[in-house]
Amino acid sequence: MTQTLRFIAQALLYVPFMVLIGYFSTEPAYRHLDPGEALVRLSLSHAGSRVSECRQRTPEELAKMPPNMRAPLDCPRERLPVTVELEMDGVLVYRIVSAPSGLRRDLASTVYWRRVVSAGAHRFTVRLKDKREGDFNYVKEIAVTLDPGRVLVIDFNPGQGGFIFRL
Amino acid sequence: MLKRIQSLGQWAFLRVEGLFNLAFGDRLNPLYYLGPLSYFMFWIVVASGLYLYVFFETGVNEAYDSVENLTHAQWYFGGIMRSLHRYASDAMVLTMLLHLTRHFAFDRYRSFHWFSWVSGVVLLWLVYAAGINGYMLPWDRLAQFVVVATAEWFDVLPLFKGALIRNFIYSEGVSDRLFSLLSFIHIGLPLATLALLWVHTHRVPSAKTTPAWQITATVTVALIVLSLTKPAVSQEHADLSAAVTTIGYDWFYLPVYALLYRWTPGEVWLLVGGATALLFLLPWLPPKLMRKGKLFHVLVHPDNRIVAAREGETVLDAVLRDGIALPFECRNGGCGVCKGTVTYGAVDHGAHQPSALTEQEKREGKALFCCATPLSDIEIEYVPVSTPGGIPVRVYVARVHKMARLADDVMQVFLKVEGDEKLHYYPGQHINIILEDGANRSFSFATAPQDSELIELQIRWIKDGRFTTRLFTEMKEGDSVRFEGPLGSFFLREDSAKPIIFVAGSTGFAPVKSMVEYAFRTGMKRQMVLYWGTRSRRDMYLAELAEQWAREHPNFRFVPVLSDPLPEDNWTGRTGLVHEAILQDFPDLSGYQIYACGSAAMVAAAHPAFIAHGLSQDDCFSDAFNLAPQIARATPQAEMVRLGGGPA
Repeated sequence: MTQTLRFIAQALLYVPFMVLIGYFSTEPAYRHLDPGEALVRLSLSHAGSRVSECRQRTPEELAKMPPNMRAPLDCPRERLPVTVELEMDGVLVYRIVSAPSGLRRDLASTVYWRRVVSAGAHRFTVRLKDKREGDFNYVKEIAVTLDPGRVLVIDFNPGQGGFIFRL
Repeated sequence: MLKRIQSLGQWAFLRVEGLFNLAFGDRLNPLYYLGPLSYFMFWIVVASGLYLYVFFETGVNEAYDSVENLTHAQWYFGGIMRSLHRYASDAMVLTMLLHLTRHFAFDRYRSFHWFSWVSGVVLLWLVYAAGINGYMLPWDRLAQFVVVATAEWFDVLPLFKGALIRNFIYSEGVSDRLFSLLSFIHIGLPLATLALLWVHTHRVPSAKTTPAWQITATVTVALIVLSLTKPAVSQEHADLSAAVTTIGYDWFYLPVYALLYRWTPGEVWLLVGGATALLFLLPWLPPKLMRKGKLFHVLVHPDNRIVAAREGETVLDAVLRDGIALPFECRNGGCGVCKGTVTYGAVDHGAHQPSALTEQEKREGKALFCCATPLSDIEIEYVPVSTPGGIPVRVYVARVHKMARLADDVMQVFLKVEGDEKLHYYPGQHINIILEDGANRSFSFATAPQDSELIELQIRWIKDGRFTTRLFTEMKEGDSVRFEGPLGSFFLREDSAKPIIFVAGSTGFAPVKSMVEYAFRTGMKRQMVLYWGTRSRRDMYLAELAEQWAREHPNFRFVPVLSDPLPEDNWTGRTGLVHEAILQDFPDLSGYQIYACGSAAMVAAAHPAFIAHGLSQDDCFSDAFNLAPQIARATPQAEMVRLGGGPA
């Protein structure tokens, strides 16, 4: 093979290399959501109630404790699991009983759930229970219209009244 | 099944490499440099990354804006650097995967190869982690996808349980500190990659980490052309309130992320974990009964050295590991540079290009040492082109300048190379004097390289020795001699501070003289002691010189040892075997370097004794230390394994 032909052949063999690198670095495009779809994300971090009520220490008990440790209440560290339910258009789509995190089960329970839904009008009902007895103590219902490509975030903050829906 | 897959892989690689050989030639074929090319890509990524880092700002808005500004306002350099950063990263994944696949196909991952294989797998994951981390930095839609997907993927692990994604629920939850953290990781991971790269290649003898300059040049040009024709650009600004819909996607780094939303994150963890476990365990699959691999011995000419080769190890790797400068280039059975002759024993020729080694050549005993693995103890011969340090091996013509008897049976010969050429060599190396019929005889340089104007040899007469008999009876000053050199990897190592013990037997004093004189000339302060063992006093032909060294140099000591002193010697010094005298004086040799040169019997006896007394293999230098008895029996030439004048 002559030198010229060799150079041409080398150039020709480098072209597929460049095409391979250049093409697959961006193509084919990845379609994460179809055009008529939106995303619902439920995310919360909330500590359930303590497994038992706090107890008032007696004066005798307090007197036996070091002065800097004399907290009037004796509270258990462990938390109860948090139960969360989400209904979409009247159908229960998600339910979880989330255990508290932490080695001593004394930290917040975390919940994350995502679902791609068709864009348009939807009705969501979300419930949370963080106590041992009784029914769900936080419930919220909302009707929203999700535009294509939008994200509905369902969060929870008891300081702001419970569930927060954010588009 | 595995064998069939590997055979198919070998067939495919050899065909494609053969095709590339037509265009690139067999020495500049990029496919023979997949490992070095990965290294080179890494350096491009590092260099371009450092430049990008100068302009990159670690803030939510600043990250995107600074990258955009660099890409567009400084397209002529910053933009190209960004594109190079991306494309070289992609190319690195490609070359690494091909490198890994080739080693799998050619069955170079089992047995002692396991460490390189496993460290290579870890490297691959590190590169993936660094690349994925890099895609988070520009804070565009792809970055948003990668960040959220990573958080969602990791959140299924019990450690996180949905806590990680809380950072990426709202746009305002992302702070400038995230980008400081990501930048920190993006520096730390490549540093870890570099450290592991060093470990990965360190165990491969004479591993190449740089491709030929012609390849680096053309690959760089190709990447620059690609950067100019299709510059790497950002996508839209990240916006966590809007879902990622359709994005440009890097399929070299992110294929697993596409699976995350087709499968569950747990299933993707199973896939990645399973694949990793499989790759890690592959060197031991299918499991075989525990069996220690065989060890073969390779007698290498013209170095006259015997090295050990592990079962499945190529001859090239074995001899390179022992410091022999056997020439090689592609290391993949394509170029034929490592071709030599197997003069004894059997080898498996391995997979190679037919053009590099023909069937006729195989019948003639030729082999490609980069592919051939010993099936028995073997003896090989190669044509040296260079020695350690890159000194070329050449054939010289010299005149006998001067001859003098040092003892009844030892002749001091000074050779002067014809012309004005100055011979460069390392102290301790040797030359091969070429006889009329092409046979050769090895003799060590006896002077320091600085005195190479006249080459001094000390040659002992061997009964019935063809060359030495002629030397002692016919040769005279002015006669012409042809020799090749310098040869051998037995030379003084200057990268250690350990005290040195020289062990010379008979004319093994010659290379020791070269090394000691070199040490004195260069002002070496290491403690040195010379044990010179001969039968009687008259055989110790330059004892006065050694004694003079001891008087003049406080860091040098001389211990003569006679094994069979004559009555007229009136010998009151040390007697017995020279290595036993050393063991008496140095019960613990762990802190020493030993250079031994003498008869094969002497070093064969001394070597295990030295090792048993704590001497490290790495500090034990001799051209006869690895003598294998079975080769000595099977091949009489093995008896030539001695420098400074053996049977000749």
